[in-house]
Amino acid sequence: MRGEKNSITDVGGVRVGHLTFHRDVPGLSGSLIAARTGLTAVLPSPMEKELRFFFATAALGAGPEVTGFAVTEDFGYLNSPLIITNAGNLGKAYDATLSYGFALKRAEIWPPVVIGLNDSYLNQMDGECLEEAEILEVLRGATDGKVEEGSVGAGTGLRALGAKGGIGTSSRRVSIGEEEFTCGVLAASHFGNTVAVAGKPPAERAGEDEGALILVAATDIPLLPHQLGRITRSLVARISASIPPGSFSDAVLGAAFTTANAMTLSEEGPLEFEFRSVADIHLDGIAEAAFRAAEEAVIHSLLKARPVRGRSGRTLETISPERLAGIFENEEA
Amino acid sequence: MNRRDFFRTTLAGAAVLPSAPPFMSGPAIADDNRRKRLRELGIVIGDLAPGPFNAITDVRGVRVGHTTIVKGRGKGAARTGVTVLLPHEGNIYEERLFASSFGLNGWGEMTGLAAIEETGLLATPIFLTGTYNVGIVQCAASAYLRRANPAMGLSGGTVHPVVAECFDDFLSDTPSRPISAKDVLAAIEKAAGGPVAEGAVGGGTGMTAFGFKGGIGTSSRKIKSGPTVGVLVMANTGGRDQLRIDGAPVGREIRGFEEAEKRTKSIILVVATDAPLLSYQLKKIAKRVAMGLSRVGANSGAGSREVILAFSTANRVPRVPTAPVQGIRAVNDFLITPLYQATIEATQEAILNALTSAETVVGKDGNTSYGIPLDQVEGIMKRYRRLGE
Repeated sequence: MRGEKNSITDVGGVRVGHLTFHRDVPGLSGSLIAARTGLTAVLPSPMEKELRFFFATAALGAGPEVTGFAVTEDFGYLNSPLIITNAGNLGKAYDATLSYGFALKRAEIWPPVVIGLNDSYLNQMDGECLEEAEILEVLRGATDGKVEEGSVGAGTGLRALGAKGGIGTSSRRVSIGEEEFTCGVLAASHFGNTVAVAGKPPAERAGEDEGALILVAATDIPLLPHQLGRITRSLVARISASIPPGSFSDAVLGAAFTTANAMTLSEEGPLEFEFRSVADIHLDGIAEAAFRAAEEAVIHSLLKARPVRGRSGRTLETISPERLAGIFENEEA
Repeated sequence: MNRRDFFRTTLAGAAVLPSAPPFMSGPAIADDNRRKRLRELGIVIGDLAPGPFNAITDVRGVRVGHTTIVKGRGKGAARTGVTVLLPHEGNIYEERLFASSFGLNGWGEMTGLAAIEETGLLATPIFLTGTYNVGIVQCAASAYLRRANPAMGLSGGTVHPVVAECFDDFLSDTPSRPISAKDVLAAIEKAAGGPVAEGAVGGGTGMTAFGFKGGIGTSSRKIKSGPTVGVLVMANTGGRDQLRIDGAPVGREIRGFEEAEKRTKSIILVVATDAPLLSYQLKKIAKRVAMGLSRVGANSGAGSREVILAFSTANRVPRVPTAPVQGIRAVNDFLITPLYQATIEATQEAILNALTSAETVVGKDGNTSYGIPLDQVEGIMKRYRRLGE
């Protein structure tokens, strides 16, 4: 069963904000160039509180550039909004996240977790173009309402399966014992542009248009980091099997956090925490819910992506439902 | 019973008694009859105090048992065995513990590791043995686990025993695989808390480290806030020139005693703690074990395998859950540093205890691995001003 908004924001506390940068701006030569990019932020909770959330990641293929993963892997937690943007704006988003944290009444937000995609097929701006003020506005204005999908935020310039890619989201309810939980996924689709088919040459590639399907999973189920790791690995493997086989530069990157077991870490203590952890026998059901939500999030990211005309007059159209139906077999979609 | 008597008792109780005196005596190894632990030589590693036994068994519930196999002399001689570590006093299949691993070079085997890395849980005893014994020990351990847990593989999940190896072929005729299921069961039956026999015992019987007789060693540290960290090693690694004790280049300074084989080999290191740690935290502990190993001088050569397994006894995760959600304790990540220090200190001392406790062993083809000369170690440490009060 889906959550109320069928969105990652069905997980209590989770907020999402988009910065859509779809403008024609003067380039170095003075003539107008097509900037088709943006940023999408997923906040595990309102960030005013000094809370850390158990977090895990998994990837297949050479993933896009990411920051903060070394810390999150070693310490098993997320202490930042999770930001998806394009590679050229990654440093800008990182820096703006620091500013955002310093302005809050908390110690810091560090390390910022930023994922940078390559949207250069449609987006002519290779360097930074997002302004700190605009990023701060998105972080501060992120809401737990219905999430806009398609060619918005980080999805503005994305390309998937040779058609327009974008942002999508979905959620599922999960019952464990007497308790009801939610699992939500936000997807950024930028994959399948170089489809590996035995005996056939790869489809047209534009420059170094490395693919990536980003799946951000949020839940309020009490999980420990190694359990989140198992769910995330399963999610990445199952989605990878659902989408057409891509080239080695086509990565699937999963990142999952739980809002249960949030902690305030400090050298002043406490010495120990009391966490809760679901019995492992429930992980299969959780993985299934995460997969179904992820599958639907990917479908939304494609079906809701309106056509975008960008760099060099290139236009990406919305994927045809027939093409999509051949790929996903989600009876609920 | 002092530690030395305990050592004798353990040997006497071994499943297979020596058919010939395994230990050489003579002027070159005059101090062999007085093997000592590192601290008995006045050498202290680090700042933290050890637990009452200065052993992995200071972590309550942890038990260790050995079967030492010493058979024949010359060609075909067997100098091998098995050491088992039972992680808690209950049934580890039913009540699992958080665990994690870390490895340096990859030339070696620890079975059961894939399941630990996937589930974050340890569900079996840990066995340490010689390389070619792994199949026999794994089989015997599986049979033991199945007998103890009839549901295993039927209504309950299968568990793959953790069996780790080092190559003891300098002293032992390894292709003959002179070990049996009976030996494995004997080690389990003898497993006990309290002092742990060290040196040429159990899986350590045929091991050589830093050019001298190596084998089993253990040590522990107790932290003021309460928790204990214990380390057990099976040391078969390092060249003589590499050996450092508390920073002093002891290996290079020792005179005489032909260096036993120079090939780089392996070491298995097991860490137990009663500090409540989750799997990802135990991985961080396991990494610090490598720092302790490095301080003794090992450099992880091309043919070596360093497998580190860390587990915490604080939280038990039942195989058959009693509730959908269970409470779990975990140390504050920002206050974990003393546990790192304890791990690094205990690792060094466990390896060094293996060396100072091990007597000279003459094995296959008359190959001799000398017990490190304790009088020289003391003299060198004194010259380098490393002897305690």
